[in-house]
Amino acid sequence: MSHTKLAAGAALLLAAAAAFAQPKEIKIGVIYDLTGPFAGGGSEANHIGTKAAIDMFNEKGGVEGYRINPVYVDAQSKVDVAINEAERLINQEKVDMLLGVYSSAQCVPMVGKVDAAKKFMWATVCVSSAVFKGKNLQYVFRPQPHSDQYGQASCDYIKEHAQKKFGTSHDKLKVAIIYEDGPYGAGVAAGNEAQCKANGTPIVLKEGYAATAPDLSSLVTKLRRAAPDVILHTGYNPDITLFLRQAKEQNFKFKALIGHGAGHSQIGKLRETFGDDVNYFHSIDPVASQILDPKTLKPGMGDLAKEMVRRYQAVKGPVEVPPHASMGFTNTWIFLADVLPRAIKKHGGISSEALRRAALETDIPAGGTPSGYGVKFFPPGHNMSGQNERSQLVVMQFVNGRTYIAWPTPIRTTDPVLPFPKGHVYAR
Amino acid sequence: MQIFDIFLLEAVLNGILFGGVLALLALGLNLIFGVIDVVWICYAELMMLGMYCVFFLHKVHGLPLVAAFGAAVVLVAFLGVLLHVLVIRPVLNSEPINQLLVTGGVLTFLQAAATLAFGIDFRNLGVSMPSLAVGEISLPWSRISAALTALVAMTALYVFLKKTYLGTAIRAISQDRAIMPLMGVSPSRIYLLTSAIGGALAGLGACLLVLQYDVHPAIGLTFGPLTFMVCVLGGLGNMLGGFIAAFIFAQLIAVGGFYFHLEWGYVMAFGFFIIMMFARPQGILGAK
Repeated sequence: MSHTKLAAGAALLLAAAAAFAQPKEIKIGVIYDLTGPFAGGGSEANHIGTKAAIDMFNEKGGVEGYRINPVYVDAQSKVDVAINEAERLINQEKVDMLLGVYSSAQCVPMVGKVDAAKKFMWATVCVSSAVFKGKNLQYVFRPQPHSDQYGQASCDYIKEHAQKKFGTSHDKLKVAIIYEDGPYGAGVAAGNEAQCKANGTPIVLKEGYAATAPDLSSLVTKLRRAAPDVILHTGYNPDITLFLRQAKEQNFKFKALIGHGAGHSQIGKLRETFGDDVNYFHSIDPVASQILDPKTLKPGMGDLAKEMVRRYQAVKGPVEVPPHASMGFTNTWIFLADVLPRAIKKHGGISSEALRRAALETDIPAGGTPSGYGVKFFPPGHNMSGQNERSQLVVMQFVNGRTYIAWPTPIRTTDPVLPFPKGHVYAR
Repeated sequence: MQIFDIFLLEAVLNGILFGGVLALLALGLNLIFGVIDVVWICYAELMMLGMYCVFFLHKVHGLPLVAAFGAAVVLVAFLGVLLHVLVIRPVLNSEPINQLLVTGGVLTFLQAAATLAFGIDFRNLGVSMPSLAVGEISLPWSRISAALTALVAMTALYVFLKKTYLGTAIRAISQDRAIMPLMGVSPSRIYLLTSAIGGALAGLGACLLVLQYDVHPAIGLTFGPLTFMVCVLGGLGNMLGGFIAAFIFAQLIAVGGFYFHLEWGYVMAFGFFIIMMFARPQGILGAK
């Protein structure tokens, strides 16, 4: 045998050995908005939370011998970019699955395409009920609560506190529903309307607007005319700021404001702009893990929340950690700690089918995740197939920049301040 | 619903004030187009940089607000000159579509550069201006000052163009850019001057917007398309036309949004724009 043939044979052997020794990996396309208005509205915090969870698993060697290889992309707060990136990740990057998506406007069209391609998708943040309702998706799963729950929570919160706090029965307390008119805002507003009507709470105004609207003075004028007691508001960040500023300038007074996540949960940013004017505002979202009492959770969950906070503040500095960081972290953690190991061990790997079967078997009781809620998905054939049926929301109240749980009452950390105290800039 | 009530009056007054904001933004863009015959699609992004300038000088470095405003006007005027020298001048004799594309490229570049330089956070000046109470109606001084500034800037520009030698030269160039060099007027100098004034007006707009809106790299997208439509509706290059169009547009948005669903205000404004483009494509005061 010539030297050349020997060398070639040795090279082939070495290459085969190298290939054999290469660690297995799961390639995950992670989509959030890192630029544009959604980034500051919570998507960047989602990204940091998800990255923290992935890094923590990789630092321990991955999951069941699989290293996690995230491909982070920026949807730029644009629907078309999000869809194009999802397609690029699937067709060119050849990712094994997709994870993420902040905006429901991106999520709703994306899930149909991903499911049709039989690709597994783990939706961590977008909340619109329209993502799942009546679609019978097979490969898309979402541990996050859905928009109907947001809408219900605020109306039930008002109902519970009407007599005791406002001194009037809930059927005499007037609410106004205002919302950005994308799938997220419209979905939550529909939930508001249905539940407040069911509760018998009168709705004096229901009005949507474009999140990029340069002027909301007409909305404020209509609100002044309708004179609601409570504002139920769903919006992102620039529109919330614009609304609050114009409401103050036009001397609009009310008794309480309940926001529904997104921009309303970015209390640090709102305080930067409005200072104490946003004291006693509320927001509804999955709870920020760090404010839960660890004793109410499975052992170890409190430590995970602390680690998430440490990693978040290492990136953003010593700031109040928004609920969006928890959403990214907890929902990614659920996939990596529960679904992925079962897919690998029980269903033979990381194919879409294996991941789907593993997700359908998820059965985490309440208290079993850093955000407190349990996880079990509605099965195929259900109207909300793929949605977590155990997801939970809390009503938070912000006082002097601190976040407190105001509802559900059994787990609250503060007796909510309702209505606004005398002297508050919006108090009526 | 009452046909006329105090709230309708409030909507009309707010429409007038919003019209003032749009009129101010349209002024510089119209001047540039009227003289240089190029549309700065990136006009609102220049304003965005002016807003960042005010924010950093006042909020971060503690400069008095008036000084920060002055610096922003000078900075954006300089950026206007830079834009002309580096981007517009090389394509001055190209097809209009190429000119449009190149300033569109600058728009994307400035947005991306601002994201890299300033991050994605929403920055707020933290200055809260009071409101003027007129009976039951409260009118924000931030918008009143914007509307008054638009009026003053419009008048000052008119006087400058009509009563000064440079203004006359600018008007002459805008009427016939080929013949004026024979009369001893240098078009390139006039273009530089016009770009500086257009930039300064964008800087002025930035000073008034930063009192009302958060600054972020995408803020230009909120105002850019609207400003462009106001200019086209008034007659591209016609400053008085743009001024009138701004108030019509704002009234349709404000009163339409008050009587019907808020979004209908925009539908009515854009519907009016489309109809006008068929009925009077040269704009309200544009020449055929």
